Amino acid sequence: MAQTDITSAERDGMGPHGTKVGLLRVLGPAHVWALGVGIVLVGEYMGWNFAVGKGGAYAALMACWFAGILYSCVAMIDSEVTSTVAAAGGQYTQAKHIIGPLMAFNVGLYLVFAYTMLEAANAITAGYLVSVVATMTGYGGELDQRPFIILVIMFLAWLNYRGVLATLTFNLVITAIAFAAIIVLFISTSGIVGDGIMQHAALFEGHEKPYGWIGIVAAMHFGLWFYLGIEGTTQAAEEVRSPARALPFGTLAGIMTLLIAATLTWYICSGVLPWEFLGDGVNGSVAPLFDTARLSGSNALIWFLGIGTLFATLASANGCINDASRAWFALGRDKYLPAWFGAVHPQYRTPYRAIVFLVPIALIFALGAPLDQVITFSILSGLLGYTFMPLNILMFRKKWPMGTIKRGYEHPFHPIPAIVLLSLCGFTFFAVFLGYGTQLVAMIGFYIVVSLWFHFWRYRFVNRGAQFTMPWPKPQGY
Amino acid sequence: METWIYIEYAAWGLSALFGLHMVVDWLKTDSTYSEDVLTSSREGELEAMTEDSHKG
Amino acid sequence: MAHYTPPAQSKLSQIIDVIVLVTLTLGALFVPLWLNLAGAAKTVATPVENPTWEALGQNAVQAAQYEALGYTPETAHDLILARFDYSFTTGALIVMIVVVIAYYALMLKFSDVEYREVISEKFGEKK
Repeated sequence: MAQTDITSAERDGMGPHGTKVGLLRVLGPAHVWALGVGIVLVGEYMGWNFAVGKGGAYAALMACWFAGILYSCVAMIDSEVTSTVAAAGGQYTQAKHIIGPLMAFNVGLYLVFAYTMLEAANAITAGYLVSVVATMTGYGGELDQRPFIILVIMFLAWLNYRGVLATLTFNLVITAIAFAAIIVLFISTSGIVGDGIMQHAALFEGHEKPYGWIGIVAAMHFGLWFYLGIEGTTQAAEEVRSPARALPFGTLAGIMTLLIAATLTWYICSGVLPWEFLGDGVNGSVAPLFDTARLSGSNALIWFLGIGTLFATLASANGCINDASRAWFALGRDKYLPAWFGAVHPQYRTPYRAIVFLVPIALIFALGAPLDQVITFSILSGLLGYTFMPLNILMFRKKWPMGTIKRGYEHPFHPIPAIVLLSLCGFTFFAVFLGYGTQLVAMIGFYIVVSLWFHFWRYRFVNRGAQFTMPWPKPQGY
Repeated sequence: METWIYIEYAAWGLSALFGLHMVVDWLKTDSTYSEDVLTSSREGELEAMTEDSHKG
Repeated sequence: MAHYTPPAQSKLSQIIDVIVLVTLTLGALFVPLWLNLAGAAKTVATPVENPTWEALGQNAVQAAQYEALGYTPETAHDLILARFDYSFTTGALIVMIVVVIAYYALMLKFSDVEYREVISEKFGEKK
């Protein structure tokens, strides 16, 4: 069996099998980094602090690091599989080749929902930010946030529609600014430059573990929010110039960036804001880094972190539109969903119908549901996806042992990352159960119903052998 | 501060423009090109190329 | 295995499929909301009358930060004292575990059936 080198230069997505119009291969590793980190970084600006409310500041730090381990496993596993299965759809295409069509359909839906819900959450936050700015500049009335929520979604969808290179270059710039804002805030408040304003010991006194140990478990639920979405880098696979190199590099650089950003964020915010305020993301601290900047007394910091927060939400929503539409497009292309969605724009070379279709869906979520519900749905879909990944890598290594196909990246210590990831997912399921048990069951009920619908109805429209597109040998054991 | 009222209107207007542009371009594209061309993208094209040359 | 040729799907049927999927999605999101089952609200178990920072369990530094944020003991009362309720029944926990495991088991089972079909069509029957 030939070992396929998908890194070679002459590949441009235009092959002999009938593709007249395919996605454009234009992206480099920096774009992959921007896609991954861009989606996630908003988690540092808002949302992670619910973990503080769930169990106190120390619990949030432990959740931050445990989730960090979880996502490091995710990034390693993902890098290996995706450096081999490089196609739009990411984990969906992986599941299709490794586990089977029904799993793939479910994974595709996890992706679309996790990202579309996250996009909605970002738009809600951006709308809120505009209203804060209006109040700060002395506007007396009640600002209508809806036009700004709609504008965020419309503008970013339009950008995505017009081409992937501009979209992700835009993401690279605003993500870098938002990341720089966290670093600047850390340097100027921690005492490295000038007088620090950190008071960890005094602020934690008497509130070390407000809920005892169970609080630490419960915090894990929102600990995911520090990193949720980093796995989205794989969606760019068909648009990256050399996927086998750029995807592992961008993904692993991304998770390292996030581990730094998450820890700094925890350190800065917990050293300035009392935990009850910090932990309440609805009535207390909606945007904790911004609130920390407000207490620093520096107007420059307030503006910088305000802009950072806005850019982080835009970068995230932008990346989410990109990822959700690639997954939806891939589902359509294989006829898992109506084939109509599998279209590529002949001029802009983007999955334009998927992009347009998901706009009203995102608007319904953004305008019709409360923020914590939207976040919870996003986290749940993500969590179901992370539970799939260890199963995926175990079967991948079993069906195609090392040496049978060329892997662009091989992750170390197999199967330890898979086992660690699976255990942490179990732990997180319990954490979600503590606060949102009903939603968890409703969500899984939804996926069961949809799965039955797919297996007994929808799957009849799918080509059987043709959907297996990788030039691999027959899997072992079949 | 009337400015914010105008900014609200501007946001509505821009949203409509972006939305309209997408819809118009979408309909135009759909009517200009045949469905065969538009949905001709296949997964794993570049893998398929090497597969053909290395069959067996 | 014989080559499977999927039927072509009509426009109308495609539209119906999309509607079904969107309806199910919205249902999963909004039904728990309508039934008021969306939990995880915080409540204040024992309110403090005429609160002071001390009565709310805040030391001098913590109180100073609250004041810098624009709170008084009265306005911060609910924010500081509200707590989640993490009590649960073993029955509910078992239901959740069963649902999660059953879901993945169902998924792997059906996927495997479909996957064998894919592999046998792509690579021919197992020798």
